[in-house]
Parts: sequence; structure tokens; C-alpha cells
Amino acid sequence: MSVKISQAERMINLLALLVQRSQPLTLRQVRNELGSQYPESDVAARAAFERDKAELRDMGIPIEMITLGGDRAGEGAYTVDRRSYELSDLGLTEDELEALKLAAATVRIGAAYGDAALWKLGGERALEQPLTSVHIELDRQLMPILADGLAERRILQFVYNGENRSVHPYGLLARGGFWYIVGFDELRADRRVFRVDRIDGDVTAGVPNSFSRPDGFDLATAVATEHELLADGDGAHSSALVLVDAPMASRVRAEFGDEAVVRVRPDGAIEFNIPCANLAAFRVWLFAMVDRAEVLAPPDIRAQVKSWLNELVGGTQS
Amino acid sequence: MAQRTGWRDPIVTTKRAGSGRRRGPRGAAERVSGLLVMLPWLVERKRVKLAQMAEQFKLSESELMDDLMMAAVCGVPPYSPDALIDVFIDEDEVVVEVPLLFSRPLRLNTAEVFALTSMGKAALQLPGIAATGPLVTALAKLRRLLPSAQDLVEIDLAPVRFVDTCTAAVESGEQLHITYFSPARAQRSERTITPRKVFEDGGHWYVAADDDGSGEQRVFRIDRIEALEHTSSFAPKLTAHLSGDPGDEGEWFSDSLQQVTLRVQPRARWVVESYPYISRIMNVDGSVDITMAVSSEHWLGRLLLRAGTNVSVLEPVELRDVSKRTASAVLKRYG
Repeated sequence: MSVKISQAERMINLLALLVQRSQPLTLRQVRNELGSQYPESDVAARAAFERDKAELRDMGIPIEMITLGGDRAGEGAYTVDRRSYELSDLGLTEDELEALKLAAATVRIGAAYGDAALWKLGGERALEQPLTSVHIELDRQLMPILADGLAERRILQFVYNGENRSVHPYGLLARGGFWYIVGFDELRADRRVFRVDRIDGDVTAGVPNSFSRPDGFDLATAVATEHELLADGDGAHSSALVLVDAPMASRVRAEFGDEAVVRVRPDGAIEFNIPCANLAAFRVWLFAMVDRAEVLAPPDIRAQVKSWLNELVGGTQS
Repeated sequence: MAQRTGWRDPIVTTKRAGSGRRRGPRGAAERVSGLLVMLPWLVERKRVKLAQMAEQFKLSESELMDDLMMAAVCGVPPYSPDALIDVFIDEDEVVVEVPLLFSRPLRLNTAEVFALTSMGKAALQLPGIAATGPLVTALAKLRRLLPSAQDLVEIDLAPVRFVDTCTAAVESGEQLHITYFSPARAQRSERTITPRKVFEDGGHWYVAADDDGSGEQRVFRIDRIEALEHTSSFAPKLTAHLSGDPGDEGEWFSDSLQQVTLRVQPRARWVVESYPYISRIMNVDGSVDITMAVSSEHWLGRLLLRAGTNVSVLEPVELRDVSKRTASAVLKRYG
């Protein structure tokens, strides 16, 4: 008769047994060794064993199965080599562990993963709230899939803008509050950038070693900045002359630099040369200042702005 | 236009969902994986206060006690005392003796390496972190755990003027005199603040501070600070850190903002993606109705101007003509 024992206890005993025995063990041998910890019924015992095995594997314990020969031909036997799951000493100093602890306390990306990493490295998570913090959270479910895709060169599959994509992930970049996957898009047969929060539904990762990362790939320059976006378009004009009132002018100057300044007016307002080849992006940038900015030239960009405004004035709400 | 009750300035955001601890029965896998991390950690320390260990691993003391008691009866056949995991509670301390099993930590999985590397790379961009210090060498050692020599993750925290000054003021308690631009009301204000915390969220840097103007704690976006002066006056530093999970700024944000419901056409999807919303309904024509908190009518007009005819106000009815009124005001500049 099986004894009342929790699954957690049985899993630890199973792992301990497979680690300690030098020879692989069949399920029958495991059941003999563990006494009545598994159910009496063969079917139920097999189901419980498979569940334990799968959950231990999910934790990173590589339970190997070998198929026996001879008079036990076809029977599976299981073993665990502790060297295959134990962490080798990275040689981190106390200062280095402390620096990682402070980083993990300050930067929020996925607390559970950061804390587990620190504990495994022998460190501790900070218990006090830091006076500075950074939030670059990445979806908890998505993080292991993306990390595996990157580290093991697995092709990622997901739906983006309503289309099925198969992407060779070259790198992940966090910028401006968003995460981006940079990689080769099989659908477009070209390098593309995907904002992670725009992915529809689940992401699945294929088999390891499915692509090569190009030599010289520079992740830091692969995603356009906001300024680059303004210039990235096929508009008739590459730049516009924009008058920004004094209260806003210093911020625009800080954003675009002195090289964008065309003229400083006596009242503190400044005329700037602003990229506008991407008109949609230009509109979003310009109207962030509402009535504190005005396009002076070229005439057709100014006319375009008036047209946008007239459209709203004449528009009706549903 | 008259100010509405509920407009708050300079805060333009919504309250975050709480990140309270999960509760409820823990599954077998969660308990086992926890023990496989805790036991090697304990082996390195030999003896740790139960309460301290429970807090470290985000468990209640009774949960930790249950797990350790369970581990103490696990081992290998014949389950004699010398074949069990040698862990026990000695008064209020957890003690581990000669480890029979599980004395070495598990390898980090890729998500853990990825998370810690990202945290380290982000932290390197913060004021006061040396680019040649122990964090750099720690990251180099972590990199050995990944199969590729290339950088697989990059963090780009855009540098903003005054972040370092605000951070230093949090440390010293110095009060700062600032000129602050508020887009919610399109106004500048002069105020003296006592910075209490600096944080980055959604691509922007903020300082949470005691604000002498309102007499309350407020959150200011640092890139909207146009000028900053040291006062050489120092307020008492906060002696106790705020409780809760590190970095949870929920308490700083106002939840008393005006709510509006917008219909967003697919071409203006960036609105849905860029701003926090309270609720979202997908319509069959591809449009989305979102309810969000806005800090002022001016701020709402600004959003509608940027989005154009692709976004319209559904509720409240009295704000349906905000885009028209805002566009008319701007049009006056164009003659």
C-alpha cells in the first residue's frame, strides 16, 4: 500500500536517488527503492513518475534516459549527472556580488529571475527599497522564450501586424520604455525591428542553432531613435523651419542640439530646422507643443499643418 | 476654461497595479525548485535566522518551516539519519550540517542570466556607477554563461539633464529650486522641492519629492525641469525606506484623475500603446475603445491634435469638442 507522501517530497527523493546511484535505474527499480512513495497501480505510478520527471526537467535538471539491451531490451533507465546541472564557480568577488545585488534592486525587469540568479550565485536580494529605480519590465512568460531564442539561436514565431512572422533574433534592445527584438524576418527577407508589446498572442521558439548571427552586427544602432524616425520617410521635404515659443524653446534646443538652431528671436523664441521627411512622426512631434510652435516654411508643409487643423475644426464627433 | 475637479498637475499617469505577494497553496514544483535554490544558499552560510531567510526568499516563516521540515525527511534509501538532508531548526535559526545532497547551486537558466545582465547593463548607466568597477567585471563573468560572445541585450536609458543632481539631492537631503514646465496646463512654475526618490519608467525619468508649492509629495518628470538651482538648505533625510517591493512607485501616483473614453482607429494604434489605460474594448471594425485617466483638458487636446481624426472622444459628452477647440486655437497662429 502506498504511503501518504507529498509530490514535492517524492520528487526530492527521486532526484536524490538518481543523483546518488552510479547506474541508471528503471522505473521498476525506482519504485523498489522508493518503497511505496509511488501508487500501487502500474498505470498510476507511471503517470506520477512522468509528471515528476517533467517537472524536474523544467527546473533545469537534465534527467537522461537510456534504452537498455539484453534481457531488458527496450526498457528505459534514468540517471542524473549532477555535473550537468550544478553551477561551476564563476569566481565572483564579494564586491561583484554586491554590485549585482544593487543592480537587481535598482532595475526592475523581472524580479523573480533576477532574485533566483542572485541566490544561485550565492548572493542575496536587497530588502530595502533603493532611492533610485529603473523600470524596464519584460513580460514574465515571454522572458525565458526570448532569452532561449537569443542564447540558443532559436527562430521565434509570432503574429505581428496581423502577419505570421518567423524571426531570427539577433538581439534585444530596451529603449524609450519599450523592448525591441532586432532580427532577420523571413517574411520580408530582411532585417526588421519588432516592438515586443505589439506582438499579438504567444511567441514560440524553434529548435536550437537554427541561424547564424551576422558578423559585425551592432545592436545599439539597430533601432532608430526618435530623431532618426523624423528623418526616416519619403516626404518631399527633408526639414522644416519651425518657430518654437520661448517657454518650449530650451527643451527643443536640448533635444536637437545647437546645430538645429536657425535664429534666436529677441523674445526668446527660437527658429529650428527640424527633420520632417516622415510627416506622420513630424505631426506627432509638432503638436506635442500645441500652440507653442508654428511651421514657418516650406510653404507646403505649413499648408499641410493648416490642412490637418482644418480637418479637426470641420470634423464631427460620432 | 475652468479647472475641473480631479485635475492634478504635474502628474500624468495612472496608478500601477499592486505587486503584492502571491498567496494560496504552493505547487510541488514551486516548493522543490525553491528548495533546490535555498539548500545550496544555506550550505554556504551554515546558520541563518529563520525570519531573515523567510524574508529573503519571500516566504512566510511557516511556509519556510514546512519546506525545511519536508527536506529534512528526504534523502536516499534506507532513509536512515545519515542518508537524509541534514537541515534542522535550532530555536530561531536554520542550520545545515555536512551536506549530503544539493550542496551546489543549480546553473542559471538563460532567463536568469538575461535578467541579471540586463539589470547590470541598465545600472551601469545610472549616476554614480563606475564604468570600470565591480559591476563591469561581474557582467564579464556572467557573460561566460552564455554560448555567444556577442552582446545579445542592450539597454539604452536616454541620459537626461538633472538626473544626477536629483539623485545626489536624494542622498544628501538638499532642497532644490526648480523651474518646471507642466504640459497639462502649458505653464511654468517655480518651486522648491526635496527629492526623495529618482526613478525611470516608460522611457522617462521622474523625481518624487516633497513639494513646497502644494505641501504634498509630488512626482515631476525630470526632462520638464527647465532650470535647477541648489539652495544649500537641507531637509532631514528619510530615515526609513518605504516598505513594499523595491521600486514600486504606485504610491506616488494619483488616482484622482478625470477619466475619458476614446475611440481609437487602427491608424492611431500608437495611442493605445503609448499611454496607460484603465480598460480597453476591441470593436469589430478594428477600432479600440479605451478609457484612460487624463490630467487636464489641455493635455487631452494635445493628444487629440497629435492623433488627428483617428481618435475621438466618446465620454464624457462635454469633452467631445476638445479636439475642435484645440485645433481652432492653434489655427489662429497660421492666419
